[in-house]
Amino acid sequence: MIEKVLVANRGEIALRVMKTCKALGIKTVAVYSDEDRNSLHVKNATEAFHIGEAAPAKSYLNQEKILDVILSSGADAIHPGYGFLSENSDFAELCEKNKINFIGPSGKSMDLCGDKMRCKAAMLEAKVPTVPGSPGLVKDEDDAEKIANDIGYPVMLKSVYGGGGRGIRIVTNDKELREGFESVTGESIAAVGKSAIIVEKFLEKTRHIEYQFARDTHGNAVHIFERECSIQRRNQKLIEQTPSPIMDEETRARIGELVVNAAHAVGYTNLGTAEFLRADNGEFYFIEINARLQVEHPITEFVSGLDLVKLQLDIANGEPIPFKQSELKMNGYAIECRINAEDTFLDFAPSTGPVPTVTIPSGPGVRCDTYLYSGATVSPFYDSLMAKLITWGQTFDESRLRMLNALDDFYIQGVETSIPLYKTILNSEEYKNGQLSTDFLKRFEMIERLEKDLVQDRKDKQIPAIASALIHSEFYKSKIQSQNSVNQNWKNKMDNV
Amino acid sequence: MKYKVQDSDEIVDGEILEKISQDEYRIKIKDSEHILKILNINSGVMEFVLDNQFHTVRYLDNQTSEMKFIVDGSELTVNMNSHLDKIVYQNSGGAEIGSAQLNLCSQIPGRVVSINAEEGTEVKKGDVVCVLESMKMQVSVKSHKDGLVKAIKIKEGNSVNKNDIVAEIE
Repeated sequence: MIEKVLVANRGEIALRVMKTCKALGIKTVAVYSDEDRNSLHVKNATEAFHIGEAAPAKSYLNQEKILDVILSSGADAIHPGYGFLSENSDFAELCEKNKINFIGPSGKSMDLCGDKMRCKAAMLEAKVPTVPGSPGLVKDEDDAEKIANDIGYPVMLKSVYGGGGRGIRIVTNDKELREGFESVTGESIAAVGKSAIIVEKFLEKTRHIEYQFARDTHGNAVHIFERECSIQRRNQKLIEQTPSPIMDEETRARIGELVVNAAHAVGYTNLGTAEFLRADNGEFYFIEINARLQVEHPITEFVSGLDLVKLQLDIANGEPIPFKQSELKMNGYAIECRINAEDTFLDFAPSTGPVPTVTIPSGPGVRCDTYLYSGATVSPFYDSLMAKLITWGQTFDESRLRMLNALDDFYIQGVETSIPLYKTILNSEEYKNGQLSTDFLKRFEMIERLEKDLVQDRKDKQIPAIASALIHSEFYKSKIQSQNSVNQNWKNKMDNV
Repeated sequence: MKYKVQDSDEIVDGEILEKISQDEYRIKIKDSEHILKILNINSGVMEFVLDNQFHTVRYLDNQTSEMKFIVDGSELTVNMNSHLDKIVYQNSGGAEIGSAQLNLCSQIPGRVVSINAEEGTEVKKGDVVCVLESMKMQVSVKSHKDGLVKAIKIKEGNSVNKNDIVAEIE
């Protein structure tokens, strides 16, 4: 039985994991960098160990150091959270070697999930559909053309050494394919000195739909419904919800069965997420398995009534999953907004610094997982996710309106946040109607609409704004008359100009 | 006094008609009268009830006749215009404001990755003056106008805070 868990993470997820441990009477060990000396996860743990400098490579990614702390603290298990070491199979294997219970899949299974080619092959064998395309690298233009004609245009030519939009071409016919093949090869050789190209069907207006699943050490597996995470920017999720507006009972069960097969196919243990693209024609294509607890797990907790971290601990203890698929019932609707420290109008550039005051929303069906407190600091060294705001409702509209209220109540002083953007999105007809796709922000010009909303908002506040100016001037004037020393100060300032 | 709220085209009259009590005022904005009761006031925050509606206002920049407030969560600028205010404005070091257009300030905190402009050279509006790195992302700081780079105020490898002066551009 796990009695003491080291949480190898920081921020809201470290706090989230500790919450369940505490409720189960399990002791917790926090690790922290120089930058996190004043962070809540240090205060909330049973014990806390300093592990190094602010830069992640010198602290939260330092495997040897963290292993040292596990051994010296007497922790019998480690929870990696998300990010950092959570999907590092070397680290999982290091823990296995040292007989430490790593709360997550085995290093071997993690490796398989992380290798796109091998994972795709395993899925094909398990009859889980993947995005149609070449089974591996294409030999030459002729090979690419043959595959493109088999799966149908438009197709994507992708260099496996590419990334960030480089080494990718979308082509719609044989002529474009031959031109594209040449330029992708050239770009890839220019960038990394070699080229390897795969062909994949290009899907338009896709939705990102993923399934939570669990598989225990006895080989039992269940899916815990879907989450739709289509609202993204730069492939990073912003808003997630469950159920997906396009899902019906039959589809949920049919894809859910595929997910269970996928979990078996990679020999997965513990909790994981299977990600799919859903094309406009209704087809689902498997993309990958995320071998960790996801940021957006709370929406699944709301509609399933489960504590997913507890389920992780149960499975890590070798217990069978304590319920059957048929016993799981989906109750109501949940939405999550990721509250990021970023400036929407500066192309989502990070915004960091002290947060002197914060007001955390609460109320019926409202949950907020955050590391913020009045006086906290948003560090430039780590992820921009400050808080996750999650709301539940008996109907979709109830969860949406609760979210809008909670966003209104969330006051974070000192840094720019994504809150205003979310208000614009949640108020839009397109969001209400469930017209979601991964290009939602661009497709419906959400940033431009946010700008208009802010202008309108300022216009609406004309009277209280002028009242503020009146009162402010009144107090300011009396301050000037009464404080000669302050005047002297200003004079000095003037002299220096 | 005349007031103008950001994004509004109107210039509006505003005045305090009467101080009813220690913390209560009768004020006039445009052509209508309002009752304002202050609940709390200090150097950073003011809370008041205006016509029985509660408002929280934070001051971001209270040194000039251009005032920046956060009114119930919305950041906005109020300009006011009168002779008295001009005096207050100059006394308070507001003369520096004219030079605000000279300074190119960083809008984010970060580490200086590279400096892409040289002192004494011309830049065009939108030219990259330096590149900052924050939260593993690189962000360019671009010139706000055409002009001559008079001074570079940062060094490669150093950190800058939000609103720090990056360069002076004339």
